[in-house]
Amino acid sequence: MRDSTEAATEGVVAITNLSRRFGAKAALNEVSLDVPRGGVFGLVGENGAGKTTLIKHILGFFRAESGTVRVFGSDPVSKPVEVLGRIGYLSEQPDLPDWMRVHEFLRYTQAFYPTWDAHYAEQLREQFGLDPSARVRVLSKGQRAKLGLLAAQAHRPDLLLLDEPSSGLDPVVRRDILEAVIRTVSDEGRTVFFSSHLLDEIERVSDRVAMLHQGRLVLCGSLDQIKARHRRITIRFETQLSAPPRVPGALAVTGTGREWTVFCDSTRVQLPDLGARIVNEDGASLNEIFVATVTGRS
Amino acid sequence: MYTVLIEHTVMLPLLNPASGTPLYLQLIEYVKHAIETGVIRAGEQLPSVRQLAEDLLINPNTVVRAYRELEHEGIIELKHGSGAFIRESIVPRERLMKKANGVVKSALDSLESFNLSEDEIRRLLENELAVRRTGKKRRKHYA
Repeated sequence: MRDSTEAATEGVVAITNLSRRFGAKAALNEVSLDVPRGGVFGLVGENGAGKTTLIKHILGFFRAESGTVRVFGSDPVSKPVEVLGRIGYLSEQPDLPDWMRVHEFLRYTQAFYPTWDAHYAEQLREQFGLDPSARVRVLSKGQRAKLGLLAAQAHRPDLLLLDEPSSGLDPVVRRDILEAVIRTVSDEGRTVFFSSHLLDEIERVSDRVAMLHQGRLVLCGSLDQIKARHRRITIRFETQLSAPPRVPGALAVTGTGREWTVFCDSTRVQLPDLGARIVNEDGASLNEIFVATVTGRS
Repeated sequence: MYTVLIEHTVMLPLLNPASGTPLYLQLIEYVKHAIETGVIRAGEQLPSVRQLAEDLLINPNTVVRAYRELEHEGIIELKHGSGAFIRESIVPRERLMKKANGVVKSALDSLESFNLSEDEIRRLLENELAVRRTGKKRRKHYA
């Protein structure tokens, strides 16, 4: 049982060696990560990588089979009210009560959150263009997402937890979601945990990024450091090669003929004397880093 | 001024998170370019960290980093409590850049008759810069 001083110094979310199986499949495999207070933490991974399973542990929907999960220093399974009252959660296609009208749903949600700001909720409702008397069932997909986003934000949660919120939504709604992320983290001490396979969004707003692949954490660190470490180096040989050159430690080597592109984590590889000239060196996008890291390992 | 700053984004590429260049560096270049072209003038106020982050949809830390670096370079001044302002001394820089551009133009005009390739001109320039930078004499052999 952790005491309050320990809770104050540790991160908002502290996950240690978390594992979970669904039958024979390891959905999560020894995952450890820390979400520091006051930043945006981006979680990336392909479908089925384990992102939603991880988030369900944070929400206390799953009890840890092995390992530990602490949110605001507490176990979300044993202290659901304490933990969930400080979280604003939005998932892909939020589960909203179809029969309620918008204003009824907001009144209903408000009852769960002592910190609900009615004035702010009204501001957001107006900004999102949601008709208070409309029934949830007639709302479009984008409007449902906005309503879910409103409900997640209006109590100014200490942790805004988003699970693939932007999937299948138009750019305007996606913009609203990113704006919510930035507004949250602009307030002192508030944190965002944002899982998405839309890497350009993660890349815009994240302080720290973690990559899940087949239940394992394959990359975790500050976004700036991850990007600084990964380099895309183009090399040119005098003669055509029939097969990719061997570059020990490289994440990926692609190309054809005389010109080849080596994708590497610069901390792990020194380009050996291949008899080739370096013609270009560049930083890499998160997308490239993700693909190279994941395909390099499978 | 602020609306002009955002309208100005149609003339410059939007910040590109996927580029190899960190966002905060892109933002610094953007502000410098806006100053050089007169979009923002000396003494004018830049948007607050929060406002700019919300409008550009980037992490506020990115804006903080860019503003700190710009302050370090003496381009802006962070007035505690009131915000970020372009330094008064920046105006001469804009005029200076215009003047410098004129010098470059006349140098290139003078070199017309030499019939040098662009690469050769570039190498001459880099060589001279290197001489000044290192204080050593570096002679390139021209075949």
